[in-house]
Amino acid sequence: MRHRASFLQLALFAIASAVILIIVAYAIPWLPYPASREAGRINFVYWFAEWISIGIFAIVAAPLMYSLWAFRVKEGDTSDGPPVHGHTGLEITWTAIPFLLVTAIAVASAIVLAKNGDAGANPTRITVTGQQFAWTFTYPNGQTYPILRLPLKRHVLLTLTSKDVLHSFWIPELYQKQDAVPGLPTKLVVTPTRTGVYPVICVELCGLGHSTMRSTAIVMDDAAYDSWYSGAAKAAAAPAPGGGLAVFNANGCGACHTLAAAKAAGKVGPDLDKLKQEAATAGQPLQAFVKQSIVDPNAYIAPGYQKGVMPATFGQTITGPKLDQLVQYLVSNAK
Amino acid sequence: MTTAHDTHEHDAHAEHGEYVPPTGWHRWTYPGWLRILWVMPLFGGIGIGLVTLIRWAADWHPIYKGVPITTVLLTTLPLGFLAGLGGFDFWVRYSSGKPTIPDDHSRHGARSWRDYFRINTDHKVIGVQYLVTNMFFFLAGGMLILLARAELAHPGTQYFNPQTFNALMTDHATLMIFLVIVPAFAGLGNFVIPLMIGAGDMAFPKLNALSYWLLPIAGVELLAGLFVPGGGPNSGWTCYAPLCEHQPLGNVFFNMGVQWAGASSIMTALNFLVTIITMRAPGMTFWRMPLLVWANFTTSMLVVLATPFIAGSQFFVMFDRVMHTNFFEAGNGGYVIGYQHIFWFYSHPAVYIMLLPGFGIISEVVSVMSRKPIFGYRLMALSLLAILVLGFSVWAHHMFIAGMAGWLRVPIMVTTLLIAVPTGIKVFSWLATLWEGRIHFTTPMLWAVGFIFCFVIGGLSGIWLGAVPIDVQANQSYFIVAHIHYVLFGGSIFTIFCGFYYWFPKMTGRMYNERLGQLHFWLTFIGFNLTFFPMHYLGLQGMPRRVADYANRFGGINEFVSIASFGLGASTLVFLYNIVWSWHHGPPAGRNPWRALGIEWQVDSPPPLFNFEEEPQVVGSPYEYGVPGARHVIFGAPQPEPVSAGH
Repeated sequence: MRHRASFLQLALFAIASAVILIIVAYAIPWLPYPASREAGRINFVYWFAEWISIGIFAIVAAPLMYSLWAFRVKEGDTSDGPPVHGHTGLEITWTAIPFLLVTAIAVASAIVLAKNGDAGANPTRITVTGQQFAWTFTYPNGQTYPILRLPLKRHVLLTLTSKDVLHSFWIPELYQKQDAVPGLPTKLVVTPTRTGVYPVICVELCGLGHSTMRSTAIVMDDAAYDSWYSGAAKAAAAPAPGGGLAVFNANGCGACHTLAAAKAAGKVGPDLDKLKQEAATAGQPLQAFVKQSIVDPNAYIAPGYQKGVMPATFGQTITGPKLDQLVQYLVSNAK
Repeated sequence: MTTAHDTHEHDAHAEHGEYVPPTGWHRWTYPGWLRILWVMPLFGGIGIGLVTLIRWAADWHPIYKGVPITTVLLTTLPLGFLAGLGGFDFWVRYSSGKPTIPDDHSRHGARSWRDYFRINTDHKVIGVQYLVTNMFFFLAGGMLILLARAELAHPGTQYFNPQTFNALMTDHATLMIFLVIVPAFAGLGNFVIPLMIGAGDMAFPKLNALSYWLLPIAGVELLAGLFVPGGGPNSGWTCYAPLCEHQPLGNVFFNMGVQWAGASSIMTALNFLVTIITMRAPGMTFWRMPLLVWANFTTSMLVVLATPFIAGSQFFVMFDRVMHTNFFEAGNGGYVIGYQHIFWFYSHPAVYIMLLPGFGIISEVVSVMSRKPIFGYRLMALSLLAILVLGFSVWAHHMFIAGMAGWLRVPIMVTTLLIAVPTGIKVFSWLATLWEGRIHFTTPMLWAVGFIFCFVIGGLSGIWLGAVPIDVQANQSYFIVAHIHYVLFGGSIFTIFCGFYYWFPKMTGRMYNERLGQLHFWLTFIGFNLTFFPMHYLGLQGMPRRVADYANRFGGINEFVSIASFGLGASTLVFLYNIVWSWHHGPPAGRNPWRALGIEWQVDSPPPLFNFEEEPQVVGSPYEYGVPGARHVIFGAPQPEPVSAGH
């Protein structure tokens, strides 16, 4: 217990706090390694704010801990501290310096934000569609896939839409995120810089299957992407052999269901390879059972599954020949 | 606890005639729980009848339909409850021209525990009613999330299906915000604000009683929603449209429950505003008000101006659901993002509603326990006003990735970051108040220091989230969960505990157990940081919030977090034991255990029925510790003002 402060000791407290914070900041890889140009810029803002935060936290923690250590009195002490009411210079200082620091963060952020929204002159355009509970990706050639393939080091302009409720598209390694809003297409720019396989996650609560609404993004180098894309273009030009498969993929069925013929391995809903068995359990003819399960999914719930998870909107979005193709496709692959 | 115990109560009742309990069938018409037994079903019947009649007249089929009937019942049943309890008796008599029952204060004060279960107009009783209610829902909300944390300990699905999990986390957040943090400050404020400004009660005691009783209604509706067919409210406490419009019946309970809590909050805030503006003791200028009074004043303005917006958002959702309007249905010309704008126009200011009173409490405690005047008093008060004004210009920082107008992001980022300036002023001023003080490391002081530590972490992560590029990566992830808990738990809840321990001797007349108080703090502080600090990492690495299941690679840290959260939950048991034991057996605290200058510490503990036997006269600043001969208040006939009036 003492009543006069030692500024040397205070400085030692501040240095010790800062050293601990720097170790915490650098020893743990807080963010994934940036895999896009946008991520690199965001990483810069992150470290800019990190260093300012380390400074501020040390400046707060040091006098806090030092005061508790140096100015603590014993129980029963009835003396009072010095009646200091304020200090204009200090008060101006701790108003002005934070003001300047946050202004600096704002300027850096605004510049990065503008750059990260710039898709360049001729970007690769992909439409991302969110629906309960799957992502689908449509390329300029009209083909739709449940997996996102991205070319390396090219600007990609994603247009996001939603068929039902709000979803949010996020690839943590690319640091880019954007909500998919029903009725309002939104835009997102990514420029991948590292090849690899990354998770695509929905981060806006979208219903009971929300936590399973995950997909995959594959960043491919130029040659691999181009050969995949031209192959895909040929497939698009050819008369659609498996119309049912296209409907299956376009509606994201494979995100929740397993079906060997479509290479789908979803585990949220019942296994579509076992449809015959399910129809028998339900006591219905196979064709009628499959159709009813798409159009009115809550009419019969397979044992072990929950009502309301499968969207009830497919009756409106898959109609006419598409529905027939899908039913036929599922029936023909049922075992 | 505030059992009025001394002679004042008898004087009051000798003057106005002792309250005689009604007998015979009069017991069924007299305000109280017996009358509720028949008034509540009556109002329920009226509600069902009304819906059925309208649907029959409009030829809507089916005429008898569950969702609209439930919606209306959640309004009329509580109204029946309030009418039965006597919440409206005075106004009904007054407006129908009947002679009103003379305001004889027979409904003032508490002589037994039963007096806490009726319409009671004493601000001290209402304060205790609030705090006990908050404590109940704090335990309920905590239990819900511990169940959810058990599910989250491992990836995959263990104990709860997604519906139950979503309902658990939705109700946890909703209860903690609307039934614990916001009203706990109303409860503490109710008890201490009239005392601190030298008033006999709040400006509108009957309104005050009514605003309290809206609160348990909100809580019961939110909890009841968990058990209805189809499952509880499951769209998160933000309840975004259009998702929430097509969810099970439980969401209707969320919808209506929030309305009751909001109405309670608005009515209390109006009461605080009028009380603080018009009922300050002679001599208490604005620049002599304690900082908690300043904080309550600014908070109440925020509540009155902002809370109607959340009411609007929930009404629109209800209309969409029940009346088939299209406010937020994209397919029918609705404005999906509009929900978020309206919702956050309340819910961001709500963060300051949940923080500013805490700032006030910390200012009181830090000054008293350091035995020094609060540093930079005027700038402390002005920074509250700055937060009030800026607080209304930052709502859209919750929506940087929502698809709103792109240009809006930079101006909102600037205002968001600027809020760090007045907030920083407060933190630095507390530190300067501690500096070279005579620091008494009591339980309230521990909570105050713990608060500063956690709140600075939450504030800095708030700056990160305010910077749009970082927000793009961190938004909607566990980083947000970490941030909101550093602000609302390490921030708000710590200040509530701080204020609770600080004024406990005033409320009960007894001292809590200091050792148990300190044990409670350390268990909570350690459990809190172990639970929430790792969540920053989870979020930045890619774990989304509000999921029952997650990628396997997050399994280890989630298991650690879940175990820590059980420890954090267990720390509350120490608090409960301490409070219940000390309430009955604690050593008498005396008037002023902290040797504080505030008016509330110059009266008995607990204070007499009408607070002051002699009129207080304010003669100086409330924080003149260390100034020889300085006084904040004198009682009785006006005396010449002592010289050192502070400012």
